[in-house]
Amino acid sequence: MALAVRDVSISFGGVVAVKGMGLDISEGEIVGLIGPNGAGKTTFINCIAGTYQPSSGTVAWQGRELRGLAPHAVIRQGVARTFQNVASLHDLTVLDIVKLGAGARGGASPRDAARAFVRGEAELEAELHEAVLGPLRLSPIAAQPIQTLSYGLRKAVDLARALASRPRLLLLDEPVAGLTAQEGRQMAGVIREVRDRTRCAVLMVEHKMDVVMSTCDRIAVMAAGAKIFEGTGAEVQADPEVRRVYLGEP
Amino acid sequence: MSRRRQIAAAAAVVLAVAGCFALGRYGAYLVHAVAISAIAALGLNLLTGFAGQISFAQGALVGIGAYTAGNLGNAGWGAGAVLAGGVAGGVASVVIGLPALRLRGLYYAIATLAAQFVLEYLFKIVEPLTRGISGMNVSPLVLLGRTVASDQAYAALSLALLAITWAGLQRLMHTNVGRSFLVVRENELVARGMGIDVVRVKLWAFLVSGFVTGVSGALVAFTTRLATPEAFSLQLSVDQVAMLIVGGQGVWAGSLLGATFVVLVPEAIQRAGEAFKAANLLSASREMAFGLLIILFLVFEPRGLAALLRRLGRALSRLVASRASRASPTPAALATSRYPATGGSREKAH
Amino acid sequence: MLLLQIATAGIATGSVYALIAIGIVLIYKCSGVVNFGQGGYVMLGAYAAYALTRLGLSPQLAAAGAVLILAAVGALTELLVLRRMLKAPVVAVMMVTLGLLILFRAVCLAIFGPDQIAFPQIFPQGAVDIAGIFITYNYVAAAVLSLVLSLAFLAFYRYTPMGLMQRAAADNSRAALAVGIHVSNQVSVAWAVSSALAGLGGVLLATLNSLSLTLSSIGLVAFPVIVLGGLTSLMGSLVAGLLLGMLEAFTDGLLTPALESFLRAHTSVYSVGALQQVVPYMLVGAMLLVRPQGIFGQRGTERV
Repeated sequence: MALAVRDVSISFGGVVAVKGMGLDISEGEIVGLIGPNGAGKTTFINCIAGTYQPSSGTVAWQGRELRGLAPHAVIRQGVARTFQNVASLHDLTVLDIVKLGAGARGGASPRDAARAFVRGEAELEAELHEAVLGPLRLSPIAAQPIQTLSYGLRKAVDLARALASRPRLLLLDEPVAGLTAQEGRQMAGVIREVRDRTRCAVLMVEHKMDVVMSTCDRIAVMAAGAKIFEGTGAEVQADPEVRRVYLGEP
Repeated sequence: MSRRRQIAAAAAVVLAVAGCFALGRYGAYLVHAVAISAIAALGLNLLTGFAGQISFAQGALVGIGAYTAGNLGNAGWGAGAVLAGGVAGGVASVVIGLPALRLRGLYYAIATLAAQFVLEYLFKIVEPLTRGISGMNVSPLVLLGRTVASDQAYAALSLALLAITWAGLQRLMHTNVGRSFLVVRENELVARGMGIDVVRVKLWAFLVSGFVTGVSGALVAFTTRLATPEAFSLQLSVDQVAMLIVGGQGVWAGSLLGATFVVLVPEAIQRAGEAFKAANLLSASREMAFGLLIILFLVFEPRGLAALLRRLGRALSRLVASRASRASPTPAALATSRYPATGGSREKAH
Repeated sequence: MLLLQIATAGIATGSVYALIAIGIVLIYKCSGVVNFGQGGYVMLGAYAAYALTRLGLSPQLAAAGAVLILAAVGALTELLVLRRMLKAPVVAVMMVTLGLLILFRAVCLAIFGPDQIAFPQIFPQGAVDIAGIFITYNYVAAAVLSLVLSLAFLAFYRYTPMGLMQRAAADNSRAALAVGIHVSNQVSVAWAVSSALAGLGGVLLATLNSLSLTLSSIGLVAFPVIVLGGLTSLMGSLVAGLLLGMLEAFTDGLLTPALESFLRAHTSVYSVGALQQVVPYMLVGAMLLVRPQGIFGQRGTERV
């Protein structure tokens, strides 16, 4: 298992948000995480990404414990995440944002930083165009300020930013929410394409069931902070408990 | 910046530096007074305008640079004294920032306020290094074996250092360190999620801003030839903040505009006061104008003179264009920046 | 004997600090604005009282009048300046309050000049004799008045309907709006109350010392109080105000002389200067490192 989460719990001021949650993901696998609002899906992602520190449990990633690491240290382990709501970072351009993503890889020595200061970043730019912006079809708008872009494009830039850090595990927090149907299909295609190309593992929180069904190899269902079911798309749709909790059937 | 604009800017700087030697003594004094203030204001702009951390310790940091450079200059150091002033300013700035490093900007503001008072007190007390309240005499700067004595030479030197600082900071903003400043300013949580080491980024901001401010302090010591605690009081910190607001935050040109305004207006008022023998009322009206300007700019034009001038330029060019019926290019606006400061939303610090 | 004398002086100034700090915390809780200009209102209060006595009012009436005037000035500030800056970044709001401080100082400088002015006697002259030490009525009155007022305000904030609305607006302005509380009016009220408290503090400080522009820097002394007490705790401000007042008094009365005689005996250093003025700030640095939420403050959680 590339990622093995066991028994993770976290609560906020007495409210238990995630309780005894566990999940495995293998390399090259896309796992969907679904569940009603407030089920603790985003909190669970935050626990893996280091934004929140779970009060108990283990988050093993490629044999290393992530629990206790700061978010920037988690990214250096090859675990990148996207955001549910894309922050408007004012006049930063698409290329600026993606460069920041590349910077999050870490490992830049003071000498590298000094070289970037003196000589500029032409090499890095070329690499990012080839590896990230090109495949996501963002190269033509690389010089545009982020605030001039549509919501869908901003989400794509956020994904590009995460990809620029060369993740081996991608945590996607509602990548399709808020996009038009067409944009959503494109985004789903991009996610599969990225997985096929880089063989990275993907954990994806999403509400749009058609996208989840068509994209994910396996689906986990959360309710009230705990996992209530795990299986293929067909199995999830057939399970009576899931239908009751999530799909709103009696 | 395009290659051509870079060359044009460099040529303009060389011309201006050379032009300093054609100035009279008073003119040269005004030039280095403005340039030195502008250097410190650039440092504050980096910290507040770009990285979103408000500081009330600028005065004390200028003082740290001045006392360091003054002592070393008196001990026979040359250009090294100016550099050492910068290093001391950078180190002090980092130390001041440490207590508030993991907290919101508000706590940093209070920590800098505390640092300003404690350092001001130390300037008065640590007599072996500062000569206490009476102040420390500083011998003129020795550069390349030659004593820099005239105001014209200091004007040229200050302008050159201003240009170098400006170019360096602008360049810094095109590296990941600089870009991280902007993200931290907008939203620390998002910055962390993007994998930015917020603590490290803030340390960078403190260090670079303190260095630049310290260099300005060194120049203060060598041009005024005297370092007293009074010169580095909270008043100077407030003046610096005023430069930032009036000039424009998050715009490099704003620092120069603000420094020009804040240095020259009191100078003019003082001249008038000498002429009319009404110093008291005039110093009060200077303060009043100051307070009002800060409030009015923040309420009506938070982006400062830089934005105001740019808009004026646009309006003028439109006027010219409509008059001459043929399209004329927008005049090269003083303030072309990609980073207007519209910092993070107001939030309660916890 | 000496200890008691010092302690009473500490309590008197400390309780005035508390009064001023409570005003800052009140505004912060209600609107998230940190008022760096509080010292300006302190100074305005003292000068307003002085001006009213010059117009022929009795000193006591003048003090009461000054408090009312300050309440109006506070509300006006909120209406004219702060309300226009609701969407402005927090840095800009901090700076605008600093601008207010500069403006108020300049106004007082223009009208009253830079020199110290003897402040009219509000409380009877003379002193009480407590266990052999004499404490002037000025100190007694300052301590009692500001302590009683601080406690009364805390009770008001906790137990009255108006206080409840204040707390609701402070706690969650959206929810308060939803249940029909006019939040921006509550912010105006907070500014009025805060400025009134500051104005009273100014009057009391002027009776203890004298009237000058330096009163405006008291607002900055209030910040150590706030950090120590926890930015969001009114009770914390009260306790921390008293603590810092005592600390200042004891530094001035005991520590400084002891330190100086030691230094004179062993080094060439002759004086430690106004140590009592910086001790609170040194404490702030230490506090931020150890317990940044203050003695009474609470840590909150953040959401992505």
